[in-house]
Amino acid sequence: MNKKHNLFPYIRRIAFSNSLDTCITLFILLAVFLLSTITIKWLLFGADWAVVIQNYPLYAFGLFPADQRWRPALWLLLLISLTIITLVGPRWRWLRKLLPITWIGVIPLGIVLLSGGLGLLPVASRYWGGVTLTIFLTTCSSLLAFPLGIILAIGRQSDLPLIKFFSSIYIEALRAVPLIAILFFGQLLIPLFFPIGVEINRVIRAVLAFTLFVSAYVAEDIRGGFQSIPKSQEEAAKALGLSKLQITQFVILPQALIIALPALTNQAIGLLQNTSLMAILGLVELLGISRSILANPLFIGRYMEVYVWLAGIYWLICTVMALLASHLEQKVTIEKLTIKN
Amino acid sequence: MRRFLVGMASMSLLLGGCATTSEVNQSRLDLIKERNELVCGVSGKIPGFSFLESDGRYQGIDVDICKAFAAAFVGNPDKVQYRPLTAAERFTAVRTGEVDLLSRNTTVNLSRDSSGGNGLTFAPVIFHDGQGLMVKRNSRINNINGLARKSICVGSGTTTEQNINDAFEAISLPYTPIKYQDLDQVIQGYSQGRCAAMTSDRSQLAAARSSFASPKDHIILEDVLSKEPLAPASLGGDQKLSDAMRWVIYSLISAEEQGITKDNIDEKLKMAKENSQLKPLRRFLGVEGDLGEKLGLDNDFVVKVIRATGNYGEIYDRHLGPDSDVPIPRSLNEIYTKGGVHISPPFN
Repeated sequence: MNKKHNLFPYIRRIAFSNSLDTCITLFILLAVFLLSTITIKWLLFGADWAVVIQNYPLYAFGLFPADQRWRPALWLLLLISLTIITLVGPRWRWLRKLLPITWIGVIPLGIVLLSGGLGLLPVASRYWGGVTLTIFLTTCSSLLAFPLGIILAIGRQSDLPLIKFFSSIYIEALRAVPLIAILFFGQLLIPLFFPIGVEINRVIRAVLAFTLFVSAYVAEDIRGGFQSIPKSQEEAAKALGLSKLQITQFVILPQALIIALPALTNQAIGLLQNTSLMAILGLVELLGISRSILANPLFIGRYMEVYVWLAGIYWLICTVMALLASHLEQKVTIEKLTIKN
Repeated sequence: MRRFLVGMASMSLLLGGCATTSEVNQSRLDLIKERNELVCGVSGKIPGFSFLESDGRYQGIDVDICKAFAAAFVGNPDKVQYRPLTAAERFTAVRTGEVDLLSRNTTVNLSRDSSGGNGLTFAPVIFHDGQGLMVKRNSRINNINGLARKSICVGSGTTTEQNINDAFEAISLPYTPIKYQDLDQVIQGYSQGRCAAMTSDRSQLAAARSSFASPKDHIILEDVLSKEPLAPASLGGDQKLSDAMRWVIYSLISAEEQGITKDNIDEKLKMAKENSQLKPLRRFLGVEGDLGEKLGLDNDFVVKVIRATGNYGEIYDRHLGPDSDVPIPRSLNEIYTKGGVHISPPFN
C-alpha cells in the first residue's frame, strides 16, 4: 500500500524532474511506442506466417522420415521436461541426486533415438536436421570438449615438459585459427585423406571439428580457474601427504571448475550459435533448413518472417541454456558454502 | 632432426599412398548398381532448380535430372539420396566419392572440365542460363533496343556489369547504369522503380520476380547477354558413368524431339513392339538392338527414364514453364527444331 502510494512521486522524480528530463522521457516513450506499434502491426497483420506454420516439422526435425519423427520429438521432449524439472521441479533429494546422471544419460539416449539400433529402424545422419541437429551438435560437442579441455588445462600446468609443450602448442594453434577454417578443414579436407569409399559421417566430422576447437577455449577457461587458486592450498595439501593426482582431483579441480563455470556457460552458448556456421557447409541444421525452405517458390521472399522466427528460436534456446547454467552456479556455490561451514 | 624429417617424409608418403592407391578401376556405375541407390549432389537452395517442399522432399529441375539418372541406372527414380552441397564443397564431394554425381546447376567451363583443373566430366547442358533483362510489362519494352537511353539496375564490379556494357556497345546505343553492391539491392532498386530494367542471370531474375507482389507485371526479355551453360557433372576418367549420364540426358532431349511423353510412352512402346518397320523408335526404346547394354544399362533404359520424369520439355515446364512458380522463357532451352540449342545425336 505504502509502495503504491509512493509510485507517482518516484516516477516524477526520476523521469520528469526538470524540462530537459521531461523532453528526453517523452521522446523515448514516443520512440518506444512507435517502434512497438510498427513491430506488433507487422507481426500480427503484415507478416505471412504460412512459411513457418506449414513447415514446422522441417524446422524441428529436418528431413527425418515422417513415420519416425516421434524419435527426435521424444528426445526434444525429454530435454524440455528435464529442463523444467531442473529449474522449477520439486526439491526432493532423491530427484536432485538423479538429475546429473539423467542429464549425462540423455545424450547417448539421443544418439540411439536419432541413429536407430537396439530395435529401432536405422536412420542415416543425412536425414537429421532442424533444431534436433542444432541441439545434437551442441550437446555432443560440449560433452566431448569438456573432458578434453580439462585434460589440456591440466597438461598445460604439468611439470613434464613434453606434455606441457604439446598441450600449449595445441591450445595456441587452435585458438589462432578461425572456427570456420577448422570446419572447412573438417568438411572438405579430411575426406581427401581417406581412400575413396571410406567415408566419415558428416555429422561426426562436424562434432569432431567443434570439439577440437571448443576444447582449446575450455582449457583456457579452466586454466584461469586453476590460476585463481592460491599456491598455499597446494602446499598445504602436499604437507598433508596428498599425491600430485589427489591434489588435482580433490583440491584444485573442483574449485577451478566452479570458478570457470560462468566462462564455460559462455562457451556453450557460443557453441550453439556457432553450429549455424554448418549451414554454409551443407548441413541442414536450423539455419540450413530455413535457407532450403526459402528456396521453395511458394515461400520466395519471406526472408523477414523466417529470420525473425529463427532469431526467436535461437533466443529461446540460448536463454534456457543461460538459466540452466545460473541454476547450476547457484547450486554449486551453495554446496561450497555448506562445505566451508 | 633427421629422424623427424624422415618420419615426416614417410608419413606424407603413407598419406599420399592412401590417396592414390584407392583409385580402383571399378566404375562408379557398377557401385551405384551394387548399392541400388544413387547419391546425387544438389544445391537445395535454388528456386525452380532444387529446393525443399513442405513435406520434406526435394523438388526442381536438378532433382528431376537425378531421378532420371536413378531410373536409368537402378530402375527406380525414388532410389536417390540427395546431398545438399554448397558451392564451395561440391567439387570435393565428387572427388572424394561422397556423391556419385553433381546435379547442382554448375556452369561448364574449361578449367572445371580439364584434368589440369577440377578434373570433372560434364554431361550435356540441361539448362542454358545467361544474363537477361527484366522490365515492367506496362513499359512496352520488348527487346534490348527498347532500353536505349533508359536506366538499368546492375550489380557493380561483376561480370554482369561488363556484359551489359558490352551488349549496349555492340548495338551502339547509350544507357544509364545504376550500380548497386549486390543482387538484393539491385532487386530492391528495381522494385522501387529507380530503373526501367534490372539485369542478372535469367534464373535469378525469375526467382526475384516470383518474390514480387504481382509477378505477372514483369517480363524477362528474350535477349541473353552471356553464356552460363549448367550441366550435371561426374568425376573425370570414369567413362562408363559419364557415357551413361550423357546418353540419359540425350534420351530426354531425343524424346522431346520425337514427341514421346510420360503419357504416351506406353502407347509408343506398344507401337514399336507391333511395328517392326519403326527401326529408329525400336532402337530408341530398346525393343531391338543392344544400345542400353553398350552403356552398361538395361536396353529399355529410355522407357524407364521417360516413365519416371517425362521428356526434357516436360521437366522444364513442370519447374520453369509458364504455369510454374518460377517461369523462365525457354528461348535457348528449346530443342533445335524450335529455335533452341538442345539437340540429341542419333541413338544408333
